[in-house]
Amino acid sequence: MTDAGSGDIDTVISADPATAGGPDGGETQSGKTKSRFWARLRKNKVALAGAIYLVFVVAVAILAPYLTSHDETFATRFQDILFSPGEAGYVLGTDHVGRDILTRLFFGSRYALMAGAEAVAVALIIGIPLGLTIGYFRGWVDRIVMRFVETVVAVPAVVMAMAIIAALGTGLTNAMLAIGLVYSMIITRLTRAEVFAAREELYVDGARAAGAPSIRVMWRHILPNVAPPLIVQTTLLFAQAVLAEAALSFLGIGATSSQASWGRMLRDAELSIDRTIWPAIPPGIAVFLTVVAFNIFGDGLRDAFSREARGGRVGVGDVVKTESGPDTAPRQADSLISVRDLSVNFPIPGSDEDVNVVQGVNFDIAKGEVLALVGESGSGKSITALSLMGLVPDPGIASSSSISLDGRELVGMEFDELRTIRGKDIGIIFQEPSAALNPAYTVGRQVAEPLRVHLGMSKSEARQRVIELLGEVGIPDPEKRIDAFPHQFSGGMAQRVMIAMALSCEPKLLIADEPTTALDVTVQGQMLDLLGELAAERDVSVMLITHDLGVVADLADRVAVMYAGEIVEQGTLAEVFAEPQHPYTEGLITAIPRNESRFGELPTIPGVVPPPWDWPNHCHFAERCEYATDACLHGPIELMPSASSLTRCVRAGELDLAGVRDRAEEGS
Amino acid sequence: MLRLLVSRMVAAIPLMFFVATLVFFLAQLNPVDPAATVLGEDASLEAIAEKRAQLGIDRPLVVQYWNWVTDAATGDLGVNWFNGEEVTTELRDRIPVTMSMVFGSLLVALVVGTTFGILAALKAGRWPDRIITLVSSLGLAIPNFWIGLILAYYLGVRLQWLPAIWPTLRPTTPFEWIEALILPCTALGISASAAIARQSRSSMIGVLQRDYIRTALAKGLPVRRVVSRHAMRNAAIPVVTLAGFQMSALIGGSIFVEFVFNVPGLGAYGVDSILRQNLPALLGFVLVTALTVVIVNILLDLSYAWLNPKVRPE
Repeated sequence: MTDAGSGDIDTVISADPATAGGPDGGETQSGKTKSRFWARLRKNKVALAGAIYLVFVVAVAILAPYLTSHDETFATRFQDILFSPGEAGYVLGTDHVGRDILTRLFFGSRYALMAGAEAVAVALIIGIPLGLTIGYFRGWVDRIVMRFVETVVAVPAVVMAMAIIAALGTGLTNAMLAIGLVYSMIITRLTRAEVFAAREELYVDGARAAGAPSIRVMWRHILPNVAPPLIVQTTLLFAQAVLAEAALSFLGIGATSSQASWGRMLRDAELSIDRTIWPAIPPGIAVFLTVVAFNIFGDGLRDAFSREARGGRVGVGDVVKTESGPDTAPRQADSLISVRDLSVNFPIPGSDEDVNVVQGVNFDIAKGEVLALVGESGSGKSITALSLMGLVPDPGIASSSSISLDGRELVGMEFDELRTIRGKDIGIIFQEPSAALNPAYTVGRQVAEPLRVHLGMSKSEARQRVIELLGEVGIPDPEKRIDAFPHQFSGGMAQRVMIAMALSCEPKLLIADEPTTALDVTVQGQMLDLLGELAAERDVSVMLITHDLGVVADLADRVAVMYAGEIVEQGTLAEVFAEPQHPYTEGLITAIPRNESRFGELPTIPGVVPPPWDWPNHCHFAERCEYATDACLHGPIELMPSASSLTRCVRAGELDLAGVRDRAEEGS
Repeated sequence: MLRLLVSRMVAAIPLMFFVATLVFFLAQLNPVDPAATVLGEDASLEAIAEKRAQLGIDRPLVVQYWNWVTDAATGDLGVNWFNGEEVTTELRDRIPVTMSMVFGSLLVALVVGTTFGILAALKAGRWPDRIITLVSSLGLAIPNFWIGLILAYYLGVRLQWLPAIWPTLRPTTPFEWIEALILPCTALGISASAAIARQSRSSMIGVLQRDYIRTALAKGLPVRRVVSRHAMRNAAIPVVTLAGFQMSALIGGSIFVEFVFNVPGLGAYGVDSILRQNLPALLGFVLVTALTVVIVNILLDLSYAWLNPKVRPE
């Protein structure tokens, strides 16, 4: 049966902790996780409807004798008469031997639930201890048992169940025992996989450092791990068992003719199918609805357990045109790209409100200039860059009064118009080269794609050009490496491929989004040198996104410092480094020698960038700023010209902040 | 690639052996004497003893097992205890029927399932997605034999558009075959289509959020190309895995659909052999089923290697 077999699928799917809700976040968080679980489950109306229906079925099963004046085998006096619905007082009519269909339907819910419970109980009683045991002991015990498990699951579940029924004899109890035995293999496999995952985590946590994990520790770690997928799987297996009961009884090897199971009713209905299909309809719908209810309830549980949000479409969003603000600066004469009033808006997860993660950003990049966009994680740098290409991930919405690239206005362009800019006029390098390359295709093919699409090169022309490009970015032996797959490249080499791809169509602007962060420290320097050389050679403008002021010092001409969605300071490299005007900039500069703290706190600035929905209306930095006064807490702060640069700080004039030179002098 | 193929085939042999062994000894647990079943209720004790000798089941279990294994290794699966036919001959007649039904359903399920699954993924959260998700979760819950009964009744008996049961004379022309297969394949393929649609949707949604999709878009490729080249191939991997499981489920499901449509296939043969304790037939049935699953799994491995260069042998 298609249905019993799909139990296997669900195992596979839910064996993946990402979908089945893996480990909870430790013991301290489990209370929180639990309440979030219930909140998510309550919000899921479909799952709730399933649960309500199941409660209804259970109620009918318990109350069956009181809901009807007949018993389950009750037949009319006319044993060969088949009453239609409504006829002779039989609401749903009778079957071909004159038995009341409604009565049998009520009693059928008993068989369905009992059969499901039997199969699932057998599966759990055998599967959980077996899975825990082999997962714990591993070695040869595990190998032998798994060999057996694989043998059993190699045969379709229902075929194996039938072979077991052949040995045990037919009948509903034996049939469900057989189904349960087959399902126990699924539970064994699932439990074992979770135990392995738990062991792995223990290992990572260093909980084993003191020695081998005790059984007590294993249990404490295993149970929270194994429970969510097991609960989900049990619900789904229950649905499969209800289907299996119906199917086996339909074949005549489950319920006997005196047992009013839904499957048996379907079998009886088939006998009179030359007269009418009707007796097959009510039990079929009963099976169908019950299975749907278990499935959607199980899916709801799975969604409630899993921590990751789902959804999202192909990540492209055009930039929406907005009116320019009253005092928006005009485009600078020599600029290649000039961005005005750029904002990016995202809905807050789990609420109806939304929030601007980028707020009113303006900047210009001159031809051949390198602008560094600097700030901690979460300050909105990458989103700013992506919105220039219309690539803000769904459901974000970028808006701007103007983004003009070499005289062309990008705001308001349709996807396909913007497509001629992407990859051709603007090239981009991402942070994680191994993730940014498609694992399924050779690097040659991926680098050649923009050449083919934008420049219309033939396959062989493109190949020739790709070989040249790979050579230019310093990949040894490019004729051979062109046919290699991304997984055959080191991180540094893969990033060189990305650079070759970004530069392939001679773009006017190159965006480098944390190009060295994911790389080995030893190749970071080489990569920066390469970027600097290539940019200078080609006279391409660069927007360099980084949290690392060391990188900025190496490459940038000008610097824009971003904090919590806003540019807080902007000026030339020399100005900003020597005389920072914003306390945040000072903090970044002070942190230079220990800039490894990207994911943690900056050593000199307590705290981290707050999430966008916590950004205040006044100075975004005030809460972390050691110089903050009452003036900082009143209304939005404008980006104003200060001594040497543009600064978004009310105290810009009065503070004497430490720049790079001061620090150097301090050191000497 | 050839080496992979051969090594997988060789690795499958012990599995087949284990399956057959498991079923052989499982069948011995039944206390009823098969010889008595063959001869019927009125048989004399002498006749039963004679039958036991004729079937070879009077010999020690180990000898019986050894004989079966050594014969099976040479391709001889013994004779049907009830009609004396060669099991291999009987299976050969029935394999094409069931396999055309099962592979037909799988093919339809793959086409229907991936099409709607991808459509749902591209419209995630909007109404086409909601409808496809709803329909597919209902599709998973429909008992195939029940929908088979309904299809046979309305389209077969009432409207007479398609044969309600398998023709008594074996269909000869391809048209007759296809005509006879439509209803059984539909009944069988619904839940497989639904399962594949769900998997395609979720794996497509997952892939569309990967960095390399952003890279492809940043290169200025048209969305159509990004989806069909960059996303589809990676999204296909979990779908292929599921198709393997579905294959096994379809073989199991074919038993019930064959029952409804009176199809003279493997499923009917298997059920009959179980009910009548026809051990050689049962073992033959289980072997063919397991072999099919094994072959499908080998095909899956090959397609993994094609889809995912990381698992390709160097």
